[in-house]
Amino acid sequence: MSSEASEDGEVRVFSDYTRDFEEDADVVIVGSGPSGSVVAYELAKAGHKVVLIEEGPPFTPQEFRADGNISMARTMREGGLRSTTGTFMPILQAICLGGGSLINSAMCVRPPAFIFDEWSTRYELDHTTRADLDPHYDAVSEFLGIAPTPEDVQGPRNLLFRQGCDALGIASEPVDRNVRGCRGSGECFSGCRARAKQSMDISYIPEAMKFGARVLTSLQVQGVLGEGRRVGGVEGRVVEPFSGRTSHAFRVRARWVVLAAGCMATPVLLQKSGNLANTSGQVGRNLQFHPGSAVAGVFPESIDPIFGGTQSYQSLAFLEEGFKLETMWSAPAALAVRMPGVGTELVQRFGELPRTAIWDAIASTHRSLGTVKARFRSLNPVIRWTLHPEDIKVMLRSIHVLAQIFFAAGAEKVLPGVGGLADEMHSLEEAEVLRDYAIRPGDLVTASSHVFCTTRMHGDPAQGVVDEEGRCHGYDNLYIADTGIFPRCPSVNPMLTVMALAHRQAQSLVERV
Amino acid sequence: MWGIVLIALAVLAVRRVWLGYPATGAEFAVLAPREEAFLQAAAEALFPPHERLPLSGGQADLPGYADRYLAVLPRRQRTLIRALFALFEHATLLWPGKGRGGFKRFSALLPEQRLGVLRDWQSSSLALRRLCLTALKAILILGYVGHSESLAALELAPWKIESPRVEADFLYPPIGGRRDQISRAGKPLGGAPTAPPLMPGLDQEAP
Repeated sequence: MSSEASEDGEVRVFSDYTRDFEEDADVVIVGSGPSGSVVAYELAKAGHKVVLIEEGPPFTPQEFRADGNISMARTMREGGLRSTTGTFMPILQAICLGGGSLINSAMCVRPPAFIFDEWSTRYELDHTTRADLDPHYDAVSEFLGIAPTPEDVQGPRNLLFRQGCDALGIASEPVDRNVRGCRGSGECFSGCRARAKQSMDISYIPEAMKFGARVLTSLQVQGVLGEGRRVGGVEGRVVEPFSGRTSHAFRVRARWVVLAAGCMATPVLLQKSGNLANTSGQVGRNLQFHPGSAVAGVFPESIDPIFGGTQSYQSLAFLEEGFKLETMWSAPAALAVRMPGVGTELVQRFGELPRTAIWDAIASTHRSLGTVKARFRSLNPVIRWTLHPEDIKVMLRSIHVLAQIFFAAGAEKVLPGVGGLADEMHSLEEAEVLRDYAIRPGDLVTASSHVFCTTRMHGDPAQGVVDEEGRCHGYDNLYIADTGIFPRCPSVNPMLTVMALAHRQAQSLVERV
Repeated sequence: MWGIVLIALAVLAVRRVWLGYPATGAEFAVLAPREEAFLQAAAEALFPPHERLPLSGGQADLPGYADRYLAVLPRRQRTLIRALFALFEHATLLWPGKGRGGFKRFSALLPEQRLGVLRDWQSSSLALRRLCLTALKAILILGYVGHSESLAALELAPWKIESPRVEADFLYPPIGGRRDQISRAGKPLGGAPTAPPLMPGLDQEAP
C-alpha cells in the first residue's frame, strides 16, 4: 500500500483517490454526523492529529434536490428505502458529510431531568444526570448559536399548533434550533439552500479543519484493526458517491479510534471486525426507535403552509406519558403522500394542501426492542424490530391528542392516518373513536429517523458495550460516539444530546490522548 | 401430458408478462415498456383530471419521473421497486378487477376496473397489501404533486433562493468533481451566514 497522505486541514473527495493509500493520525473518527464532528473539532482544537472519515460526499446547495424521492435517494442510506422487518417501518439515515444534520429539521431539545434519572438508576450511570451534561449542552449550544425559533419565522401552521395547545391548556414552546438567520423556507429536510441551518458540514467540520483535522470523504470503513485490548486504526475502501461501487483500499493507523458511524453502522462494523467489543453480547441488541405518527388537519382558509420553520413548535407536556408533539413541514409532494384515497377523492385532497397543516408525535417506545445484524456480504444491516402492544397504545393516544389540538385550533377536519378508521374526522366526537380503538401495528403508518441503544452505555461491563465516557468496556482506546450508546430512547429529538455526550467524550479523550 | 401443460403455461406466462406492450418511442434509462404501460395506467387511475390541478396523472409524464428516480437508486432498491410495479400489474390474477376481463393485467383493464382494483388494495384486510399501495402511491404522488405545474396551481412552489456562499462552499467541489472545480466566485461570508430573503416561486406571493 503506497502512502498518499492528505495534508493537515484538507478535505478529500472521491476524485482525489487515485491509488491505495495509508494515513497516520492520533485519532481516527468514523462518521461525520453531529457526534463525530464535535469529537473531531474538540480534539483538533486541542492540538491532536485528527482524521475524520465519512462514507458519503459533501453536498453544497447546488447538489440539493427539492424532489422528495430524488433527494432521499441521494442523501440517505439504501436510497432512503431502508426499513425494519418484523414490524415494518421506514428508517431514514443519512450518508453525506455532516450526517443527519444536513437533512434534519435542526431541532435541539434537552431531555428533562427525569429521563437522565432513569438512565442513571437503571443502567448504573452515576455521572450522566442532566446536571452533569448541562455544561456540555451549553458548550454545543453556544458554538452553534442554538436559540428558540423567533416569532417572525414561525408561519401560520406552527402558530396554529400553539393556538390549539393554548386553548386546551397544554404547555407548548418554540423549538430551539441550530440555525442562524432562518427565513422560514421550510426546506430543512432536503438541505438548507439559505445556508441558515448550522449543519456539521458548514459549522463544526470547517472549524475542525482550521485546527488541522483531515476530512476524508467517500471512504467506506470495513474493519477496525486491532488485537487484545487495543485497536490500531481502521481500513476499508474508497466508495463512489451514490453508486456505492468500491475501489482503492485504504488504511488509517491511529492510537485512538472513535466510531461515530451511527446506531446501525457502528454495530455492523464491530460485528464485521471479528465481533469486536462484544464480550457483553449487547452489540447490535436493545435497538429502540422514536416512531413518528403524522396527523393532518385541514383548516377553513389557506394557512400559507409553505412559509415557516420546518419544525418550529413543540409540546413536551406528554413526555412522561411517552410521547412528544411537534409541528412539521416538508416538500408539499412528500406531505401529500400522507393523503388517503385513490382517484378523484385523492386529487381533491391535494387541492386542500394549502389549507393543511401536518403535526406529528414521536413516541418513546422503549418496550419495543430489536436487533441489528450484518447482512451477508454487505455493510447494510438486517434490522428486526417489533412494536410492543403497550407502545402502540401510546402512539394511538398521541394521535388522539393531536386531533384534539387540531380541532381546538379551528381545523374543520382531521385525517388521523389510522388503518381501519375513517379517513376523515370532522369533530371531536368523531375523533373519540381513537380513544379506545383496538389498534394493530399494521394500522399505523409510521417512520423514524431516531435510532438508539445498539451499543448501549452501561456501568456494568456484562450488560453494556461502553462506559460513561463512551469507551468500549475491555478496550483502552476504542470509543463509540453515536446514538447507539444511549441506554434508552431519550423521548426527545436526540441530536443535541448526542452532541453533548460527544463533547463530554472529547474532553475525556483530550486528557487521555 | 404434464410436459405439454407446463409448456402451455410457460407460453401463457411469457405472453402475459412480456408481450403485447405497445412501443411508445419513449427512451428510458431503466424502465421497460411493460413498466411504462403499468405506470401510465396507474397514474391515470390515481390522478384523474380535476379542476384544482392543471394536469391529470396521465399528462404528468410519471413514467419518465419514475425512470429518473429508479436511475439514482441502489441496485437492490431499484429491483424491489420494479418488483412492486410487476406485482400490481399481475396481481389481478389473485385479486381481479370487477366485470368482464378482470383477470387481464392491470394496464389492460378498463379505467373503472383499474380504479376498483386500487380501491381493493386500499381497503384490504391484509396490512401488506395496504402497505404496497402506500409505496406505489408514494412514488407517483411525489412525481405528480411535485410537478412544477401542480405546485404552481396549489401555490406551493418552492421559494426562489439565491444561496449565499459560506466558507464551507469554498472547500467542497461538486459531487464527483475535482477540487479545482470549486467555484471561486464571490467571497466567503465572514462569521455567521446571513440567510437571503425568500422570493416567491412561480406564481406565489411573498409572505
